[in-house]
Amino acid sequence: MVDSIRSLRTRRALLAGFLVLVAISLAAWLAISLAAGTGQTKGASYHFRWYITYDSIFAPDGSIISGLWLTISVSVIAQVLGVGLGILAALAKMARIWPFRIVSNLYIWFFRGTPLILQLSFLFYGIQTTRVFTWPLIDFGPIVIAPEVVAGVVILGVNEGAYMAEIVRAGILAIDPGQTEAAKSLGMTYSQTMRRIVLPQAARVIIPPLGNEFNNMLKNTSLLSALSIFELYYTFSSKANTTLIYFEYMIACCFWYLLLTTIWGFVQAWIERRFSKGTTTSSAGPGWRERLLGGRRRQQAEEIAILGGH
Amino acid sequence: MTAPHVSGDLLGAIGGVPRPETDVVVDARDVNKWFGRLHVLKNVCLQVRRQETVVVIGPSGSGKTTFIRCVNHLEKIQSGRIFVNGRLIGYREAAATSRLARLHVPGRPGRSGSDRKKLVEDREKNIARQRQEIGMVFQRFNLFPHMTAIENIVEAPIQVRGTPRDEAMTMGRALLERVGLAAKENVYPNQLSGGQQQRIAIARALAMKPALMLFDEPTSALDPEMIGEVLEVMKELAREGMTMIVVSHEMGFAREAANRVVMMDEGVIVEEGTPDQVFSAPAQERTKAFLSKIL
Repeated sequence: MVDSIRSLRTRRALLAGFLVLVAISLAAWLAISLAAGTGQTKGASYHFRWYITYDSIFAPDGSIISGLWLTISVSVIAQVLGVGLGILAALAKMARIWPFRIVSNLYIWFFRGTPLILQLSFLFYGIQTTRVFTWPLIDFGPIVIAPEVVAGVVILGVNEGAYMAEIVRAGILAIDPGQTEAAKSLGMTYSQTMRRIVLPQAARVIIPPLGNEFNNMLKNTSLLSALSIFELYYTFSSKANTTLIYFEYMIACCFWYLLLTTIWGFVQAWIERRFSKGTTTSSAGPGWRERLLGGRRRQQAEEIAILGGH
Repeated sequence: MTAPHVSGDLLGAIGGVPRPETDVVVDARDVNKWFGRLHVLKNVCLQVRRQETVVVIGPSGSGKTTFIRCVNHLEKIQSGRIFVNGRLIGYREAAATSRLARLHVPGRPGRSGSDRKKLVEDREKNIARQRQEIGMVFQRFNLFPHMTAIENIVEAPIQVRGTPRDEAMTMGRALLERVGLAAKENVYPNQLSGGQQQRIAIARALAMKPALMLFDEPTSALDPEMIGEVLEVMKELAREGMTMIVVSHEMGFAREAANRVVMMDEGVIVEEGTPDQVFSAPAQERTKAFLSKIL
């Protein structure tokens, strides 16, 4: 038994080493051919201005910094709005009173059934041109938020709420009905039961998909370029459009998005660990090392061992 | 069997039980319940007096669990009335006529109070208030897994009754001590044995100072060596004069602590009497058949 396990492990290590080698050599080939400016295509070779990529990453100008800042703040606010709306929509969808259910279903149906970019241009340009409603400019004194940014945040949040509704509903349904009965039998009202007993437990189920949603949100903010909002992507694409230097700027743009999503991965792991209160340690979610190196198999093995030992 | 050190005075820990206005705590009259086409409770009548412990026995599917779940309105009933401390549980009686129609219209006979009254489910807030008086202990404990033992106990007093936190904590600690788990104050339920969890569940229910305690097969999900410690707490509670309805097949507990044993079968109360009567000389064939299977 021990022998077979060891040989299996060795084989796996060999396979991993092989894959890493392949990946490194591919990357090296790409880097060398790009740096040499000798692609496989015929014709004039492209002259790479790597300093542009370098500067956009290591010495970003004010426009990049403010784009980054806008992307982060819009994502966070829209996600918070989305979670709030999602909880409300989930509760409404499970309500005993049917008008709540209808409204919630219609909301989810529309925002999950149409493209986000269409929602942005319809609810901003479309509504703005009818003059039935105009998106307001919000003036906080030192900070002034333009109407299109207000619209962008709200539409992203409302769109997100439709997806969060289903996630929250699944989280609530995952909680043992005995919990609700125990809370009721203690004289707790519906709202107390939800707030104190069901939602805190559902949070643990909701957080992994919520992390996924926020990762999507960080990237979906790039659609705000349709409203000419200078978030991260639009900042880079307009630089590229005016200079006609696409490749170098887009690589730098990739770097910034990857940085954001990677940092978020760590934050998410931390949040998941915090929310595993009162549950077995194995459900604490993968740590950063597992996250980066993909320790899924080991975690599964641990979970199986725990189940078996029970 | 390792019985916990239950040092008496369980009710002392919560400062006694409020005295109900009437001597009859539970008064169920002609209760009928259907699950779809299945008639699970058929004209069930049961009275439980103050300080009485009633043990309900019967084969599975006989409706005993459903019945006590109706007593705190976790289940709806289709006809009949259940009163706890003289108050109708879960429903209000709406006169069949609206307020307008009750105004005397000349030429029409006025509708008298003896008209059939309709049951309308009460508002959620009122039901919640009624449930504060009724403690319930479940077969599967249903402790809140995201809260420690003490947090489980003080949650409802603080949130529902508005008890100040300090006061609630003092009472919670006293209750933990009474059920022999003072050392487990800050432990989460998943680190406790079944017997310990169930004792905390009992403490949690007692923290609301209920006038009535319902036990739904409190020892059925426990390993045999843990049944004793839970029954010990329940016996103590019965001795101290708590009014209790217990669905259980623990004959030892019934003989020692019950004032009355009720036998249910197919949604009907088949027989009731003192533990001695029912266990030693059952009058009904169905009771005899059932007892022969479990004894």
